[in-house]
Amino acid sequence: MKLVELVLLVTLILSIALLLTFAYMYLTPTSEIRNLAVFYLVTTYNPQLPFYTVNSPEAVTAIVWDYRGLDTLFETAVFYLALIAALALARKLYVEATPEFNKGNEGLSVIVKTVTKITSPMIIAVGASIGLHGHLTPGGGFQGGATIAVAPMIIIIVFSVLYLLTKRVTTEKMLLLRSLGLIGIGLTTISAFIIGLTAGRTTYVFQNMPKFDAPLGLPDKLNGVLISGTLWFFNLFEMLAVASGFTMAFIVLMLVKKEG
Amino acid sequence: MLDVIELALRIIGLGLIVLGGFASLISAIGFHRFKNFYLRLHAATIGTIWGCVYPLTGASLLSITLSELGTYRWFIAGASLVAAIIILILAPAGSHAIARGVHKAKIARVQPCIADLLDKDLCG
Repeated sequence: MKLVELVLLVTLILSIALLLTFAYMYLTPTSEIRNLAVFYLVTTYNPQLPFYTVNSPEAVTAIVWDYRGLDTLFETAVFYLALIAALALARKLYVEATPEFNKGNEGLSVIVKTVTKITSPMIIAVGASIGLHGHLTPGGGFQGGATIAVAPMIIIIVFSVLYLLTKRVTTEKMLLLRSLGLIGIGLTTISAFIIGLTAGRTTYVFQNMPKFDAPLGLPDKLNGVLISGTLWFFNLFEMLAVASGFTMAFIVLMLVKKEG
Repeated sequence: MLDVIELALRIIGLGLIVLGGFASLISAIGFHRFKNFYLRLHAATIGTIWGCVYPLTGASLLSITLSELGTYRWFIAGASLVAAIIILILAPAGSHAIARGVHKAKIARVQPCIADLLDKDLCG
């Protein structure tokens, strides 16, 4: 057993040393920008290239939800499948209805409860800001949703999970919200296609801005405010779905009893 | 008149930042040298309140005077102030929760002890 551990350790150290010795020649970042990066940086917000641009100053969100939008859609699907699997695994292990719940004795002390009451709306506001400004500043739907999901987690720890359930934040409602978000993402992917169908023009599924052979796309500005076409809606629905999905997972994890 | 206010803000801001650095040093020494868990927690809280809230307030005041930053100085000032207030609210609650939880669960003993009125068994 000792020998195995020693061999493992030596192998690990040697392989890291090998990597550090030889791989740095290929991994050193260069000062010039590669052509692919130049393409993305030039086209991400450029009104002078109307058929190439995404009209979003945030290149990462533009790449994630426009240039490689299909990829992100499947990533989202994987996340929801993981959540569904978690729920399916725990489906007989938890009970949500607990009528005998007295408020005073549950959770941590009054100081922590008061601070949580002050800060949890702040957390939700920051998360919404990260999510809804995803096409302008670093962040996006997933990050915003994950930030929002911190608030119910803190409430679960500080007040107990039953407090959350008495406030009517149940897994059924979270499932409904999550499904709404998922349906929203699905509708956003085909929104340009539906517009093209009704107008009788050529458009594509997952199209955002107008293209050469499909000059009908989504508007980049709504009432003078930059929304970058589908990006804002993708971020909104993704935020909704991720926040409710994580909240549901936290509730289920906290409710699971040892003796099923 | 404006110059005087600017100078005062700059001096106060720099003073608060220096105070924060000094307090962080003291907090680190205390964290290393204090004898039991609760005292070390006290040192850690010195690091968050004196070492975070005061320098952030100082950075906020200082950035108001830096006119070469343009409009962005108001962003820096506001963000620093809000961060300082949030840390001021959160850090005591966090350290309180840790201390209370550890004491109630009887994990750490109060060890050089003069008096422990909450639980006599943990004393000494």
